[in-house]
Amino acid sequence: MTVQLIGGEMSVWSDLDGTHGPAPAGDPSLLPLLKSITGRTLVAGPHAPTLIDAIPAPEITLLVRGVTDAELLAARFASRPGVTICCGSLEKLATIPAYDTVVALDGLDRLLTTEAAELTWDETLTRLLAARSPRGRLLLRLENLFGIHRLVALPTAPTDTEWVTADDRDPSRPLGPDAMRARLAAAGVPVARDYAAYPGALLGGGVLSDPALGGFLEATLARSVPEQSAPAQPQLTDPARLVAGAVRHRLADDLAPSWIFLAGPGSTGPEASIAAAGPGSLGARASIGSAGPGSLGARASIGSAGPGSLGAGASTAASRSAGAEGPIAASASAASAASAGTAAGGGVAGVDEIHRDGGGRWVRGDGVPVPLGRTLEGLLLAACQRRALPDVRELLGAWQAGPVAGVPATQVVVDAEGNFHGVASAGKPLEALRHLAASMIGGGYAHLWPSPADEVQLTALLAGMTGREVDPSDVPAITQSTVESVRELTIARDRLTEELADARAKHEFYERQIANRDHELKRLRQMNAILSATTAGKAANTLVDGLKAGRRAVRAVVRRTRD
Amino acid sequence: VHHANHYYGHSHVLARYCGLDDTDPPRLRGYLQHGWNIGDGLAPDHEYTPGVPSFLWSERTRRRAWSLGHRQGYVVGAPFAYLLTMQPLSDSDQREGTIWYPFHGWEGQHVVGDHDGLMASMRDVEDGPVTVCLYWQEFRNAKLRQRYEDAGFRVICHGYRGGWWKDLDPGFLYRQLAELRKHRRVASNRLCSAVFYGALAGCEPAVYGDPMHLENEKAAFGGQPRILREWAALHGPYVNRDLALELAVDELGADRLLAPAELRRLLGWPMPKRVDDAELTGVLIR
Repeated sequence: MTVQLIGGEMSVWSDLDGTHGPAPAGDPSLLPLLKSITGRTLVAGPHAPTLIDAIPAPEITLLVRGVTDAELLAARFASRPGVTICCGSLEKLATIPAYDTVVALDGLDRLLTTEAAELTWDETLTRLLAARSPRGRLLLRLENLFGIHRLVALPTAPTDTEWVTADDRDPSRPLGPDAMRARLAAAGVPVARDYAAYPGALLGGGVLSDPALGGFLEATLARSVPEQSAPAQPQLTDPARLVAGAVRHRLADDLAPSWIFLAGPGSTGPEASIAAAGPGSLGARASIGSAGPGSLGARASIGSAGPGSLGAGASTAASRSAGAEGPIAASASAASAASAGTAAGGGVAGVDEIHRDGGGRWVRGDGVPVPLGRTLEGLLLAACQRRALPDVRELLGAWQAGPVAGVPATQVVVDAEGNFHGVASAGKPLEALRHLAASMIGGGYAHLWPSPADEVQLTALLAGMTGREVDPSDVPAITQSTVESVRELTIARDRLTEELADARAKHEFYERQIANRDHELKRLRQMNAILSATTAGKAANTLVDGLKAGRRAVRAVVRRTRD
Repeated sequence: VHHANHYYGHSHVLARYCGLDDTDPPRLRGYLQHGWNIGDGLAPDHEYTPGVPSFLWSERTRRRAWSLGHRQGYVVGAPFAYLLTMQPLSDSDQREGTIWYPFHGWEGQHVVGDHDGLMASMRDVEDGPVTVCLYWQEFRNAKLRQRYEDAGFRVICHGYRGGWWKDLDPGFLYRQLAELRKHRRVASNRLCSAVFYGALAGCEPAVYGDPMHLENEKAAFGGQPRILREWAALHGPYVNRDLALELAVDELGADRLLAPAELRRLLGWPMPKRVDDAELTGVLIR
């Protein structure tokens, strides 16, 4: 397979390796959008080969900027017929409306090269749309420049790819889904469906607007988002808590890291697409990514997320969960569906497609209903904040006595009837309790417990609240995110400062107590000495000495008798 | 941590509840509230030490303590409520008359008031036999005891409170509960722990008569006037029994008791050495 150099190509450059900027589009949750693509297809911009593998279209043109990427793709797809590789800048692509589907899931920011004339965002879109046939479809990503990933980011040095920086002051750039829908409608490509795109999850408007799905969404995003910045990039705050708050405040769409738009005629895609946690999704990756370990495919999908990218989340989260106990069917609900590794109804393995069934219920691809309600951790924290300890004990007791005892509280949805549904695979119950303790302390809720607010001690106390006796030395270690965040570090610093002050105060208190006891001991000894010196005291001592001598004599006789 | 944890055999009751040796309760890692309190749960003479948790009777007390900057409060409920779970009330309890707790001073305090006037009020209100329970200081005062006995009242004392690890009396609460269960009513001239205990133990409570006062009494947290305002419903010779029970449950945290495993963990107590020990043991009334 030869690479077509269309002009403007960058001879020493790769977007796919993720070293000059964010990792390429590669989130597994995108897979369900790709499976129905037909006809001639243009994939513009860096996309992980695992995504391209999922496109069933017979003719695919891949447009990348760097010669290195083009050559890698040529090698990767050498055996796949119908794949053409173009290397260069978008504006050099022939402006022939030749493509039935245009895929730009990396967005518009990496389509022009250093050699190109500067185009605004809108002009870039116009050029891209020019490649689309009149009844063609468009799959487009728009980064949210005010998304959670940017809100939690510490300032970073610009990457190599930012010779021109995406700017929310660019008047031609849509600042949200509404503006984007209007722009595409004006261009004759009405949006059929759009999603808030989080790591490992695409969430449609129907899903986001149903409050009953709040717990499920919090659980899903809590699972995938925290791992987004591995390898660790320090950040302002733990994104998982922020995302959970955004879901509760109905801001998950507004604050999504990016949005995905499906425009033009044809399939509308699922209501939501969620990369499953647990071994199922690992299996899925292996079957989708035919590339071997260390190859481009594997690197691209796991690849490091650069600044502003949340892209690598789901796959790392999946590998983390796979290291746990393995899939224990937590309940006859989501977890079993998630870990099954296959999706019914022509779905993509390892990715759950959410839709409404005939009865209006939210179900997964295999027909298993999505649990409605709030997360167990949310309920527990709410009860703790109210200091409703009887409620806390009841929730903890029901959780730990049931089949989802080993599923972390963030991954358990409690429905209106009080049933517990695990949405991730189960580990050991004590590990789940420790995760809860870690979350309470790390999240700044240590004040809810008397000191020392230490994870191990709190785990043992939480176990005690369920009636289970746990020695702190038996509390297992857990793997925790190593990502540093300023808020959590500040919380920890303040907590430790307070603990130190308390420890000093206690130390002084104990010192005073010891001084009193010493005084008391001295007094008693003096009294003892005085009493011993009296006639009665001497007589008592003589008696005691006599008894001791008698005992020694008896023992000696017994020893001799034995010998 | 504090000698007051052993007052009235409180730590002994909790040790028994936790399946531990109730003749020698372990050191308790924190400060255990030892009486009904309108402040932060700590006794007025008790020094607050940051970092030492307070084990409080009620959520209301915890909230108050928090507002005063005492953050390490944990509601465990009153030891008396634990005792009741181990010796539940029975319909066969033969109840008669009233047990009356005249307001008393504690060690080193002296109460000032007219005992004759108080006896007159008691006779006016109570139509059955009256048992007067005196604090040990008053009980040792033969003259005072005699005055009550001469007035036709049965006079008892539940025992020593104990202090500084001396004169500890593990049977105190047991004797109190046994007496409360024998009486139909519980009364005092001040709202106090005993009235709440009585209400929880099935007695009809009442608070009436000259409230007397302590020499140099300090009105901390609003003192007696605040008690009268806030708990007005419990004052008077006859009060609503259901409401009183509800208030007693709240003030004694009887609906918030901990399971033994949680209590042991919280107090820093060990697990019972043998499974048999974990079974609730009987305690000797000494």
